[in-house]
Amino acid sequence: MANLPTTTERFIQGILPENPVYRQLLGLCPTLAVTNGLQPALTMAAAVGLVLLSANIIVSLIRNLLKPHLRIVVFTLTIATFVTIVDRLLAAYMYPMSKTLGPYIPLIIVNCIIICRCEVCASKQSVVTAAADAVGQALGFGLALCSIAAIRELLGAGMLAGIPVMPSAWPAWVIMVLPPGAFLTFGLLMALVNWVGAARSNNAGKGD
Amino acid sequence: MEYLLDIFLISISAALINNFVLYYFVGICPFIGVSRRVDMAVGMGGAVTFVMTIAVFISWTITSLVLMPGAPISSWIAGFFMSVDKAAAVDLTILTYIVYIFAIASSVQLVEMYVRKFYPSLYKSFGVFLPLITTNCAILFACLTVMSNVVGVDNAADAWDLGEALALGIFGGVGFTIAIVIMAGIREELDLCDIPEPFKGAAITLIVGGILAMAFMGFTGVDSGLKAALASAP
Amino acid sequence: MEPTLSNGSTAPVGGLKNSNLAQAWLVLLLALCFGGALAAVQVNLSSVIASNKLNETLKKVPELVWGAQTGDMKVSADPSVVISPGTLTVPKTGKTSVYSLYRVSRDDRLVGWVVKAGGQGYAGKIELLLGLDPDAQKILGLFVLEQKETPGLGNKITVADWRNQFIGKKSQPPLQVVKGKGGGAGVQTIDAVTGATISSRAVTGIVNRTIGDVQGKLTPEFIHILERQP
Repeated sequence: MANLPTTTERFIQGILPENPVYRQLLGLCPTLAVTNGLQPALTMAAAVGLVLLSANIIVSLIRNLLKPHLRIVVFTLTIATFVTIVDRLLAAYMYPMSKTLGPYIPLIIVNCIIICRCEVCASKQSVVTAAADAVGQALGFGLALCSIAAIRELLGAGMLAGIPVMPSAWPAWVIMVLPPGAFLTFGLLMALVNWVGAARSNNAGKGD
Repeated sequence: MEYLLDIFLISISAALINNFVLYYFVGICPFIGVSRRVDMAVGMGGAVTFVMTIAVFISWTITSLVLMPGAPISSWIAGFFMSVDKAAAVDLTILTYIVYIFAIASSVQLVEMYVRKFYPSLYKSFGVFLPLITTNCAILFACLTVMSNVVGVDNAADAWDLGEALALGIFGGVGFTIAIVIMAGIREELDLCDIPEPFKGAAITLIVGGILAMAFMGFTGVDSGLKAALASAP
Repeated sequence: MEPTLSNGSTAPVGGLKNSNLAQAWLVLLLALCFGGALAAVQVNLSSVIASNKLNETLKKVPELVWGAQTGDMKVSADPSVVISPGTLTVPKTGKTSVYSLYRVSRDDRLVGWVVKAGGQGYAGKIELLLGLDPDAQKILGLFVLEQKETPGLGNKITVADWRNQFIGKKSQPPLQVVKGKGGGAGVQTIDAVTGATISSRAVTGIVNRTIGDVQGKLTPEFIHILERQP
């Protein structure tokens, strides 16, 4: 069996090198949908992080009992249960935010990031490693969401997390908080990340 | 007559005005991943429409008969264990998400068996994408939309019946197909263009998607206008 | 006797049955545990969520009957104010309409009604709370609960200045929307939001239709007040 990454490696990989949104292109639906403000973006990242952590821990605890053709059923059952719990907690204690996020919280069930991490990491490694992996990936996801949300909210409403930042003479670019703005911002940021990544690997190559 | 108008408006809204991909951002993963060739896009769109219709049918039926507060089958079964008043208030909606995702997984299995039996060449060209439809946000989103129009509606007469639910399922899939086929057509042309290195792949697809979303914004207000025009016609 | 393979181990015929059962066992056990967890969540949180939903509209009710400044003061300082949720059924040819409403009374004297109304806006459904006097002859307040209108244009219908135009208007004859600053015409006109005539007309249409449905039917024959939970 090939050497699986260690706990610290799993944690660090999740944040930038294997960022779930910019590098793995997973979980794109919430990335576009809830990033019209910093507050929804942070809440969504926290919700996904919670579900990811819980699912990874449970799957890692029972990893020796999992048989090949039933493991997807087990993953799905675990993830759906935790998403239901998180959804109810949000509706009980953060009701206005729960209404803003709407149907995108239950859509965490089909968010490819969680099933992918269960498959790749939690079903094969110990609880501590799986938890570190979950935290790393969740941080990476949060970073990606906030980068897009900050730009969209700043340009589209002149605010950051609901606090007015731009001078009142700023004409709000309303398109940024509408669907086209989501696509365009994400596309341009993706190109930026690709460009930075290519420049760094070019430099690394030249340095040898 | 008013019912047909309702169905018509739900269909137009799901397919064009509130397009699942370009307005609600669901089904983005296949939109970016599978849209390189028009024939594959058409096949994917057709499969998603098929699965969405079956999944919406199953989820509407289970929600109305079992999960809703006061649903017939669960109240009847609960009536054996508790008084009739409490049985009528039995609320199983906490199980909604779990039931829906397994309904979707079953629909995908059904469609997979059907395609493998009757269209083996299509099945081969799909490869791994057919089972991946289970994780397509668009299908779960369609089921959730149906649920929100059935459970917790103020006016019980406004709750969607099976026809309206199926209209959403079918035309939501049609809207998805329209978006993905347009994108595939554009990408086939883009393959011949000189795109800067950082933009190749997902980035240019997203930017083209943004322009498409802008174009589809032109449909806003069509449903209210149509409703006003058709409702006042004799 | 079980067939043996060349290395002496028995063929997995019995073993296959065993492992299928073992796998189903795990899924069933997990389903039971998760079911228990979900039941616990339901028992503990469902009442909190239900009261969240109710309070969302309930806390708007005082200001819709007494106006923004005095509304809050009245309720917090005055225990004789009673707000009762209920439903109003309007029989019509075809579909009967059911409206949610709130009955506001003080010292057992009826002060006004707040009706929840909805309709098609420019880009989606608009939901409103409409405050009316006891006979539905005058409008006391308007609040937009939900709307999906164009940001920056249509969603100015939520701005208090625009909504306050409705306060004090009589319910008959039906309100009309005019473009441009009030042409000096009737008292029953509403200035449209600049660049959002359709949204303004949608809101006014919903208000007119609701008043038309509700007038003359604010009697116990059509209204059912829900029993207050202790």
